[in-house]
Amino acid sequence: MIDRVLDATRGKVDGADALWRREEQTAVAFESGRLKAAGISEEAGLNLRVLVGGRMGVAGTTAAKPDPAELVGRARASAELGEIVDLTFPGAAASTLPPIPTFFDRTANASLAELIRMGRLLVERLSRPDCQVNVAVEREVADTAVGNTAGARGEYRATGIAVTADLTRIAGDDVLMVYDQYVGADMPSDADLETLVRSVETRLTAALRVVTPPDGALPVVFTPAGLAAVVLPLEQALSGKTVLQGSSPLAGKVGATIFDERLSIFDDPLTPGRPASRPVDDECVPSRATGLVERGAVGRFVYDLETAARAKTQSTGNGRRGVFGKPHIGYTNMLFRGTDGAHGGQTAAPLQMLGGGLIADIDDGLIVDDLIGVGQGNVISGAFSHPVGLAYRVQRGEVTGRVKDAAVAGNAYELLKRIGGFGGDGRWLGSRWSPSLLLEGVSVARR
Amino acid sequence: MKDRLAAAVKQSRAGYTEIRVERTWSSAVAFRGRRLETATVSEDQGGFVRVLNNGCGWGIASFTSLDELPAMVSRAYELSRAVRLDDPIRLAETPPEVADAILELDGDVRGIALSDKKKLLDRYNGAMLAVSNAIVDTQSSYRDEVSEVWYVNSEGTSLYQLRPEVVVSGTAIARRNGTIEKGLESIGLRKGWNSVQNFEHQFRVVAQRAVDLLDAPRVRGGAYPVILDNELAGVFIHEAFGHLSEADFVYENPQAREMMTLGRRFGKPVLNVGDNGAAKGLRGTLPYDDEGTPTQDTPLIKEGILVGRLHSRETAAKLGERPTGNARAISFRHAPIVRMTNTYIAPGKKGVGFNDLISDIKLGVYACGAFGGQTMLENFSFTAGWGYMIRDGKVAELVKDVVLAGNLFQTLDRIDHIAGDFTWNQMGGGCGKGGQFPLPVTEGAPHVRIEEALIGGDV
Repeated sequence: MIDRVLDATRGKVDGADALWRREEQTAVAFESGRLKAAGISEEAGLNLRVLVGGRMGVAGTTAAKPDPAELVGRARASAELGEIVDLTFPGAAASTLPPIPTFFDRTANASLAELIRMGRLLVERLSRPDCQVNVAVEREVADTAVGNTAGARGEYRATGIAVTADLTRIAGDDVLMVYDQYVGADMPSDADLETLVRSVETRLTAALRVVTPPDGALPVVFTPAGLAAVVLPLEQALSGKTVLQGSSPLAGKVGATIFDERLSIFDDPLTPGRPASRPVDDECVPSRATGLVERGAVGRFVYDLETAARAKTQSTGNGRRGVFGKPHIGYTNMLFRGTDGAHGGQTAAPLQMLGGGLIADIDDGLIVDDLIGVGQGNVISGAFSHPVGLAYRVQRGEVTGRVKDAAVAGNAYELLKRIGGFGGDGRWLGSRWSPSLLLEGVSVARR
Repeated sequence: MKDRLAAAVKQSRAGYTEIRVERTWSSAVAFRGRRLETATVSEDQGGFVRVLNNGCGWGIASFTSLDELPAMVSRAYELSRAVRLDDPIRLAETPPEVADAILELDGDVRGIALSDKKKLLDRYNGAMLAVSNAIVDTQSSYRDEVSEVWYVNSEGTSLYQLRPEVVVSGTAIARRNGTIEKGLESIGLRKGWNSVQNFEHQFRVVAQRAVDLLDAPRVRGGAYPVILDNELAGVFIHEAFGHLSEADFVYENPQAREMMTLGRRFGKPVLNVGDNGAAKGLRGTLPYDDEGTPTQDTPLIKEGILVGRLHSRETAAKLGERPTGNARAISFRHAPIVRMTNTYIAPGKKGVGFNDLISDIKLGVYACGAFGGQTMLENFSFTAGWGYMIRDGKVAELVKDVVLAGNLFQTLDRIDHIAGDFTWNQMGGGCGKGGQFPLPVTEGAPHVRIEEALIGGDV
C-alpha cells in the first residue's frame, strides 16, 4: 500500500512520505460484575504528506480501497495553501532499525475465552457486597508501515493489552471510586493481575474511613497516578514545538539545572514490553532514547521532522501521525529514573504500602492519588489547582483516612526544585513509569 | 444504503440487530502563531453493528470496510453468543421510526473553497496576534463537517440523518518573562459556513484578557460566596449534576439508585434543570439518537426535586422508565451510551440580573468563562477562564487560576439565587465519557449564585 501511494506521487510532487496502519481490537466488558458485551473493531487508514514547491500538504483516508490518485490530488490541494518548510525526509540508510520486540504471539493469539477468563478472575477477586466492579479487557494487534520518496521504509507488527478494573462504593451519600490498570504489549501473568487486585484493595481499604482534610502549605506525596498534574506542564514545555513558538518556560534553558539534581526523565521508545515502543517513528526516523531531564538539568527537547527542520536540529524520532492531519510531536514511554538508578521494571509489589515509603517523616500532610480536572487550567505555566479525587491524610507518619472536599495547588517548576524523596514504588501507568514523589509546600485548601 | 442495511439486518440470525453507517466529509484549517499548520479535506466512513441474542449479552463490531458488512453481522452474532447472561438484557419499547431528518446546513461547508476557510481563520488568528506584543503564540483551528448517518434496526426503524457541524476555536498565549497566561474562545455550532462569520471582536477580547491576566494575582484558596457567569454555570450543571442523571450510572447499582431516588431534594426551590436534545439549532441537538429514539426535553430537577434521568433503551427497560433519546456514540467506532445533549439551568425570575446577585456579598468571587470541568460523581471540578474578586457588593480586581471544587450534595443545595439572563453557550470541544471524546453538547444557564464554594489556591 505504501509503495503504491508513493509511486502515485512520482512526477506530481517533490517528495512525500506516508503511513499505513491497520488495527484490530477485541474487547470484553463486565458491568457491575456481569459480562455484558464482547466486541471487535477493525480499522485501516492511510496518511500521505507531500512537498510541492517547498510547501507541505497532507491527506488521509479510511476508504477500504483507497484511490492513490485521488489521495495525491487532495494532498496537493492541501499543499497549495501550506507553508514553506525545508523538510528533508530520512534516506534509505535510516532503514536499519534497532531491534525491539513489539509483537507477542500470546497476546495476538489469546482467544475470546481467555480474555473473558482474565476479566472474570478480576471480578471474582474484587467483588464485595458494598461495591460495584467494572472490568474491561482490550487487546489490540496493529500493523504499521511507513515509507518516503527518499527510499526509507519501516514495518512492524505490534500487540497491546489493557486490563482495567474500577470499583465504585456508594455508602449513603459518599461516593468512592478506585481504579487501576495493567497495560502491556505481552499478556499479564496471573501474578500481574494479582498485583492489580492488591493495588485496588490497598487504596480501597485505606479510604473507608473519611477524615477532615488539613490545610496550609504541606508535604504531599504524589503517587505515580497522582503525579499527572505535575508532569503535564513538563511534557508541554519539553516539546520542541512549544519551544519554537516561544511559549515554553524551558526555552533557552538546555543544560541549566532547574530541577532537583536527583531528577532524570527519559523518553524511550525502545523499552521492552511496552505498547508505545516501536523500532521507527511515524516519519521513518529510527527510534532512540532521549534524555529530557538529566540530573536536574534540561536535556533535549523532542522534535518531529517539521519542527526539527524549523529549529535547525535533528528529529528525535518523536513523529506521530493519525489517519487524518499532519504528523505532530508525541512522547513514547516517559520514564522517571529513581534514586537507585532503576527504572522501567515492573515492580513486583508496587502498592503494598501507600506512599511508597515516603510518609514516615510526615507529621501532617497528604498522599494524592487522583486529582480532578487535570489538563484544564493554564498548564504550560506550571500552575495547577485541582480538587482531590482520591487522597489520604497522613498524620505522624501514618495514613489516617481519606479526605474529601479539599483542593491542592502549586507550581510544578517550583515544587520540582526540591524533591523530598523518591518512593520505592516505581511502576507503569499507561506509558509513564515513575515512583511516588514527596513534594514540600503544596497548598492544600479545604472548606 | 438503507436497503443495503435492511438486507443485512434481515440476514442476521440474532434476536435484535442494528446497523449504523456513517460517512463524514470534513475540512480543517489550523494556525499556530503566524504559521499555517494544516489545511485539509477528509472523508471518513465506516459501520457499526450491534446484536442481542436471547439470554446473551451484546455482540458488537465496528469497521471501516463496508464490503465486510455481512461478515461483520455474523461476527457480532457469534460474539453475542459468547456472552451468557442469566438476567437477560431487555430494551424498552419504542415505536419504529422511518424518516429522513436533514438538519439545516446554513451555508453548506462542502461548497466553500478551502482557501476561504483559511482566510477566515487567518482573520481571527490575526486579530488575536494584533492585540499586543505580549501575545507570543496562538493556536487557532477551524473545523467543519457534514455527517451522513444511516440507521436501520430489526424492529423496523430506518433513518437517514444529515448532521452538519462547524467549530472555530482560538487560544491566545501571553507571556512576560516567566509568566504565561492564556485566553480561550470557542464557537461550536450544528450549522454551516454562514454561522461563523464576524467573530473578530470575541477573539480580540480573549487575547486582551490573556495579557491582562499577566498582572493578575492568583486567587487565594478558601470557601467563598461565588457567582458563576452563564458559561461557567453551564459547565457547572453539566459536571455537577448532568453526569449523575445519566441512568447507566445507576441502573445496575442499587446503592446508586437509592442515592438518586426520584423525589429526593437536591436544591432549593429556585433550581430547575433539564436536558433538551430536541431544542432547535443547538450543537447538542439531534432529531434521533443513535438507537433511533426521538430526542426530547427531559426535566431532571424541578423546584429542587429530582424528577427524571437520561436513558438509553437498555437503562430505561431496567428501571421501568421511558427512553429519552440520550443514547449517543461519537462515531461508528463506538457503541451508543447514555449521554447529555443540551443541558440547562432554567432561568430565574424575569428581570433578576447580575446586580441583584452581587449586592449583598461582602467578599466573594465572580468566576467567568470555562477552561473545562470533570466529575468523579460526588466530587467535581470546574475551571474558570478568569475571575474577579467581589468586594462590598462590587466587582473588584481580576484574579487567575480560579478552580472550583464542587460536591454534589453541598454545592447544588447552596445555589440560592438564579438570574433571569439565560443564554445557551455553544462551544467547540465536547464531553468525554467511556473513551468517547469529544461528543458535541451544549450547556445553557443564567448567572447563578452559590452561597459558599471551595476554591483551590494558596491559603
